[in-house]
Amino acid sequence: MKMFVCIKYVPDTSEAEVKVNPDGVTVDSSRFSFDINDADNYAVEESVLIKEAKEGDVTVVSIGPKKSDVMIRMAMAKGCDQAVRIEDDRIAGHDPLMVAKALAAAIKGQEFDLVLTGCMASDDGHMSTGVALAEELGVNHASMVKKVEVLDGKVRAHRELEGGLLEVVELELPAVLTIQTGINEPRYAPIRGIRQAQKKELKVVSLDDLGVDPASVGSDASMVVLEELYIPEVESSAEFIEGEAEEKAEKLASILVKGGLV
Amino acid sequence: MGNILVLAEHRQGALRDISYEMMALAPKLAEDMGCEVTVLLVGSKMDDLAKKMAAYGSKVLVVDDPLFENFNAEKYQKVLSALIDDLKPAVVMTGQTAQGVDFIPALAVEKNLPLVAEAISLEYANGTLKATRQLYSGKVNATVAFKPADTYLVTIREGVVEPPDAAADGAVEKVDSPLKDDLTYRSFVEYIEAEVGDVDITQSDTLVAVGRGLKEDKNLSIIEELAQAIRADIAGSRAATDAGWIPHDRQVGTSGKSVKPKLYIAMGISGAFQHVAGMKGAKTVVAINKDPEAPIFTVADYAIVDDMFKVVPKLIEKLKELKG
Amino acid sequence: MSTESQTFTEKYDLLGCIQCGRCTGGCPVTVRADLNVRRFVYDAYYEEKLDELARLAEIWDCTACHTCAVRCPKGLKPLEVLLGLRTMIIESGKVEPTVRDALQSVLLEGNPWEKSRAARSDWMEGLDVKIAEPGVPVENLFFVCCTIAYDPRVKSIARNIVGLLNKSGVDYAFLDESETCCGSEVFTLGEEGLFEMLVEDNTELLNEYTAKRLVCLSPHCFTTYKTRYPDLKAEVIHYTQLLVELLEEGKLNWKGDLQKTIVYHDPCYLGKQSNVYDEPRTLLKNIPGVKMVEFERSRERSLCCEGGGGKMWVESESKKERLAETRIKDAKALEADIVAVACPFCVLTLEDAMKSLGYEEEMRVAEIMELLGEFVEA
Repeated sequence: MKMFVCIKYVPDTSEAEVKVNPDGVTVDSSRFSFDINDADNYAVEESVLIKEAKEGDVTVVSIGPKKSDVMIRMAMAKGCDQAVRIEDDRIAGHDPLMVAKALAAAIKGQEFDLVLTGCMASDDGHMSTGVALAEELGVNHASMVKKVEVLDGKVRAHRELEGGLLEVVELELPAVLTIQTGINEPRYAPIRGIRQAQKKELKVVSLDDLGVDPASVGSDASMVVLEELYIPEVESSAEFIEGEAEEKAEKLASILVKGGLV
Repeated sequence: MGNILVLAEHRQGALRDISYEMMALAPKLAEDMGCEVTVLLVGSKMDDLAKKMAAYGSKVLVVDDPLFENFNAEKYQKVLSALIDDLKPAVVMTGQTAQGVDFIPALAVEKNLPLVAEAISLEYANGTLKATRQLYSGKVNATVAFKPADTYLVTIREGVVEPPDAAADGAVEKVDSPLKDDLTYRSFVEYIEAEVGDVDITQSDTLVAVGRGLKEDKNLSIIEELAQAIRADIAGSRAATDAGWIPHDRQVGTSGKSVKPKLYIAMGISGAFQHVAGMKGAKTVVAINKDPEAPIFTVADYAIVDDMFKVVPKLIEKLKELKG
Repeated sequence: MSTESQTFTEKYDLLGCIQCGRCTGGCPVTVRADLNVRRFVYDAYYEEKLDELARLAEIWDCTACHTCAVRCPKGLKPLEVLLGLRTMIIESGKVEPTVRDALQSVLLEGNPWEKSRAARSDWMEGLDVKIAEPGVPVENLFFVCCTIAYDPRVKSIARNIVGLLNKSGVDYAFLDESETCCGSEVFTLGEEGLFEMLVEDNTELLNEYTAKRLVCLSPHCFTTYKTRYPDLKAEVIHYTQLLVELLEEGKLNWKGDLQKTIVYHDPCYLGKQSNVYDEPRTLLKNIPGVKMVEFERSRERSLCCEGGGGKMWVESESKKERLAETRIKDAKALEADIVAVACPFCVLTLEDAMKSLGYEEEMRVAEIMELLGEFVEA
């Protein structure tokens, strides 16, 4: 199995306050921690599991800054074989169609059986890049995959639908699968493994190196414009219960009991 | 200007909520754009569903063919591709659902059309279509404008609007399937129902739901104690089920169950919209979370900003006391 | 241990063991879990058995309290055999997600709590804290600890000491966000590679500050810097040692009155592992009004709270009473009002136990610095 796995370096905003920069179209990421996108982490693990079961070779592809190399090295420590990092700020990152085009350029022309990627990026959440990438590559795809069975020349993918229902589909290879979280349990990348992975090839390329006309994946080529980012007004009608933790607990208990809710 | 083509979603013989919800958004947008809404249904034996969609007053086009007995992204893409050529719609709108996300981005690439995924609202003014969508799990809103194009593709987040009341009946018109032969490279195999455990949380009156904030397995015991005290069933967010703390059949959210309890207590759940979508039917929502910015508070009726583990023991004690 | 030039037997000096069993005999964990450290030392001699041993769940029960090492008549460290087995698991990558996430967080953000590095000095908010500058000599360079810096429950340890230092006129400085995990728990979780990296990076960072002493707020950082950082230039001390100096110099001005009975719990990393037993007691004794009592198991024989050894991220399979609960019950029997500790992990484990036992109305778990914050003028 010759595989590619596309991963993204994303900020963790689960606990941090998000502030929009004065430019109005970016957020202040100085206080965020960054890591591999959650779903992509599962995609990396799935590629390595397939490699371990079927033999094969996995190439990591990512678009990102130099500081994301640590994420790529971790993927290689887990078993991915080589990596390509596209570093080029001319890519219109707000448009998954442009991102897919740039990723496709790093894969096109090479043989592969599977391309795996996370089904959603936790920052912008389009859930579009993987499926767009399949079209760019002219291959089959299935999105939101919760189980992968590699068959002879085919792959059986269990897609997770709403309500916990699974839709099982069979695709002829090659194919792109967008991986849903929870499909496996991602392993740990030990530091000695990361150090050994330093020997694996990590190619840093620009759009020019990939033979991509920067204008074809830039803001001008994108057919959507990110006009403004803003912090939504919290439409909360919630009654915030105040006090020390225990006071809050007591007040809540009274509300629940007096309101006949319990 | 072409029409707004709303691709209605159905599965296993039933229309999905998003289909109705789009009928709340599309007519308003059509009015602003000066065009009409056309509903598209692709499937097999669609008569009943077509009638239901027609009840919203718009024309319903039906591609009714055994080829479409089950959803198949590749087939849908081919149908939409052909119909876009034929009908030249101004907008193609569908849900940001497991169906929508499985083919709309590919369609956008194939037809070289602009796409905004998961809009929560749409606005047309001065000749420009703009969409609002969210980033960073709902902490930031983005206004995205479409550059002028023949057709705009947009997917709508589930649950952002209430379905409208039915209006006058619209016409139902069958169109031949643009796809004549079955595909060999992608095939539907089967549906597998989620495993059913001992508790059906969709039927529960009271739910205590835990999320990532539970942190680890052993912390479940105090939650169980609370649940017992108020005769609640325990549910979880995706984080909680992924971690194995809560069985998968008790996951609340777009990829889990939609629940409608009288009381929903969300603990250590940030309230990602995928989760909120599954519990928006709850009558009263209590949220306990350390992060004052957690989006769960926007849907809560009662909110406590604190460590759940500091609150719950006292809560149990007081509940027991008050209830005798 | 194929990556090592040393064999497992050589590395842990297994042949030095006389199988006397003093290690297992004194091991506090045996009360709760099926852990026989002597047996591991015996079995680990057989290289072919190592994989099998490493897969035994009880290797994760060790709290790295070092009782076995203290008791070993041959001066061996039996616990390190368990840590070596953990290393084998860590390097296979197949670890508990909680351990995985903690270790990865240390690598990426310099702390095991999955918090952003940028937030590391948020605990200083509103305080007048002197920040260290590279090359500027300082008498006492403070090392806060990841847990104290991020966990709101124990933040006051750092906040309170700042007030005290400013008042006493001591030459001190704290590190900014560059402060990085000492690796105590990384080491005990068996992530040797990451620990080596931390030792290298932290030695370089800390040596830049030309500090005379490195004052650690947590015994875990204290013992780790003291014993596992051979090239660190500064002398490493625990804050209680510095405060006793200030006390002796008359620079601590007591206020108020604490008419309470205090029992002091010796943290393993401060007591057994670093022989600091008296300074914490001296400080507590000097709080006006305090009556001190002692646990039956105190000083070298102190019971472990089970907070160390990476146990913050690994849950024991044992359903038996937690040692922390045993400890709190003992304190209750002594009619202590306050269980004083000098370690953030002990605060968390003992307080948790106190709450599960339902004693929070009549008892309090407090770090010494929390009490000093209330009874020393700042």
